[in-house]
Amino acid sequence: MGELRRDSITGRWVIIEIDKVKNPSDYEAEPHVRKGGICPFCPGNEHMTPPEIFAHREGETKPNLPGWQTRVIPNKFPALRVEGDIDRVGLGMYDMMNGIGAHEVIIENPDHNRELCDLTDHEVEKVIWAYRNRSLDLKGDKRFKYILIFKNYGASAGATLEHPHSQLIALPIIPKRVGEELRWAERYYEYRGRCVFCDMIHQEIEERERIIAENKSFIAFAPFVSRFPFEFSIFPKIHGAEFSYIQKEEVVDLARILKETLLRMKLALKDTSYNFIIHTSPIDYREEADYHWHIEVMPRLGRTAGFEWGTGFYLNQTPPEIAAWALREVSL
Amino acid sequence: MPEFRKDPIIGRWVIVATERARRPTDFIPHSVSEEKIAEPPCPFCEGREDQTPPPEIFAVRNPGTKPNTPGWRVRVVPSVSPVLKIEGKIERHGRGIYDVINGIGAHEIIVETPQHIYNMADLPEEQITDSITAYIERMTDLGRDARFKYALLFKNYGAAAGSGRVRHAHSQLIAMPVNPIRLKDELVGARQYFEYKERCIFCDIIKQEMDTGKRIIADVDGFLAFAPFASRFPFEMWVLPKKHSADFANLTKDKRADLARILKLVLTKLKRALVDPPYNIILHTAPFRIPKAGYWKSIDEDFHWHLEIMPRLTRVAGFEWGSGFYINPTPPEDAAKYLSEME
Repeated sequence: MGELRRDSITGRWVIIEIDKVKNPSDYEAEPHVRKGGICPFCPGNEHMTPPEIFAHREGETKPNLPGWQTRVIPNKFPALRVEGDIDRVGLGMYDMMNGIGAHEVIIENPDHNRELCDLTDHEVEKVIWAYRNRSLDLKGDKRFKYILIFKNYGASAGATLEHPHSQLIALPIIPKRVGEELRWAERYYEYRGRCVFCDMIHQEIEERERIIAENKSFIAFAPFVSRFPFEFSIFPKIHGAEFSYIQKEEVVDLARILKETLLRMKLALKDTSYNFIIHTSPIDYREEADYHWHIEVMPRLGRTAGFEWGTGFYLNQTPPEIAAWALREVSL
Repeated sequence: MPEFRKDPIIGRWVIVATERARRPTDFIPHSVSEEKIAEPPCPFCEGREDQTPPPEIFAVRNPGTKPNTPGWRVRVVPSVSPVLKIEGKIERHGRGIYDVINGIGAHEIIVETPQHIYNMADLPEEQITDSITAYIERMTDLGRDARFKYALLFKNYGAAAGSGRVRHAHSQLIAMPVNPIRLKDELVGARQYFEYKERCIFCDIIKQEMDTGKRIIADVDGFLAFAPFASRFPFEMWVLPKKHSADFANLTKDKRADLARILKLVLTKLKRALVDPPYNIILHTAPFRIPKAGYWKSIDEDFHWHLEIMPRLTRVAGFEWGSGFYINPTPPEDAAKYLSEME
């Protein structure tokens, strides 16, 4: 038996099971099978990737040689091409445009076997700086409307290479989910004159039931309307629409909370595959008061019934209150 | 060159990779027939009627046979593990800024054959026709319940498509007090188009697809199957009536056999082209219409029911979930070509 909860951000209804609840041990994490072989992202193999776009390097080392700590390269098999002008056309009643965009890979650290949650706080900060740096650079390109930063960890989350990495896609369009979030947030703001996310953070801090971790600048909680078991979000406590405006002290706090929550998830859920996505405002977005950037983390547990795709109607067998409790209880 | 294509109904952009297009043979074969699943004794087989929660809700039966005994061709039973509860009043309440409704709804299973056959493609046409009758009977009945806004009919075939361990052809029906968001997007998109053009967007799509012919998979007996222009997934297809109709439940008896024929045809093509892949089928139909102030009146004219069939060939990368932004490695024109040429 469940209850229906409505997401305040997109209007989506989700069934949350509250009787026959699934606990962490009820989920089978798909084992990670190491493929081995030569890794194009490991130091010494820089020639196997397209030339680097950006890197944090120690001392005087040269581009495209070892000595880097984080390294950003174009995706060798990009979904989009970076050269050319945007060309929109209509085909009868259909609309299309050519596939212009940037598709980059952020190699998070030189060590093939150290995942994001295994890095030091300082190393995670470097990854965040790389995200920020690339976002700021691509924002200057007038062809792009949105920058999507995400990570797929594990084969069942869509990762094809083992070496720890994240991806960035700069797009000439606004993805649908983002558009929905923006519209609902705008509506809420028109009605109440407040940011819906700020209100949500406020309520979460008051209730404390769904909080997983918190520090000076950030809070991580399992959303009241979680679509997936053990899904959680990380929000800056101070309102801000745009991720790339993150300040130096905030980078430090974000690195700490990201590492901590990923580690909690890893320990509680047997090294589950997961995805995270940075939700930020579109480039040159004017309604800065409405929107609040955040990171959505989604472990890939169990199978996703197909109808959830086709309908946008989700069934979650672990209430976020229990998920948050289980993640909080992990001893680090 | 990859291209962005926009779904004309809900406005979602999809990247269609036209260069490194993937053919059926490029997908790692994942045959449902080869899935290693520890199957429990089948509760859906004829003669095991006592294994499903009583009572049987509906059945297409041979004359003279009694409920909950053999002699049925299609049988509808409550779900063993319902996600919603049928008894009770809808109670809406707020928790601070959050909105909640208690979990009232119906969750039923339509068993589509008395024999232990898993893929709908392998059922005789008459068996599919009887199943369609069962869907319509149940949807019509649930539509009379003023608590419900929508009945979601879907099928998960194969473990990778979310099916449970029982490998016996069945679909599920969930009646709920809210409209699913994707459906709402479609309804809103279709209404906006209608306000602007005074035509049904789906009818316009059908016309354009028939004109170009590039994405058509099958065109038989008043039904059309095609690969949508902005397909999110490789080999995704839609089946819809060529004649305008908003509500699936209005499908007349003779048309049910026609729908069964095209369904069996496209599912068989899918099975052969992609070596028995897992898939989902979802029915998109008009919501139950309970007269309510402000409810739009043009829905009979602006919406058009259809079936969405999605083979599960690739893993959906997480960002696609989170962003609603998809990358499809097989252009629908190629998918349609393979499928239409398949015997």
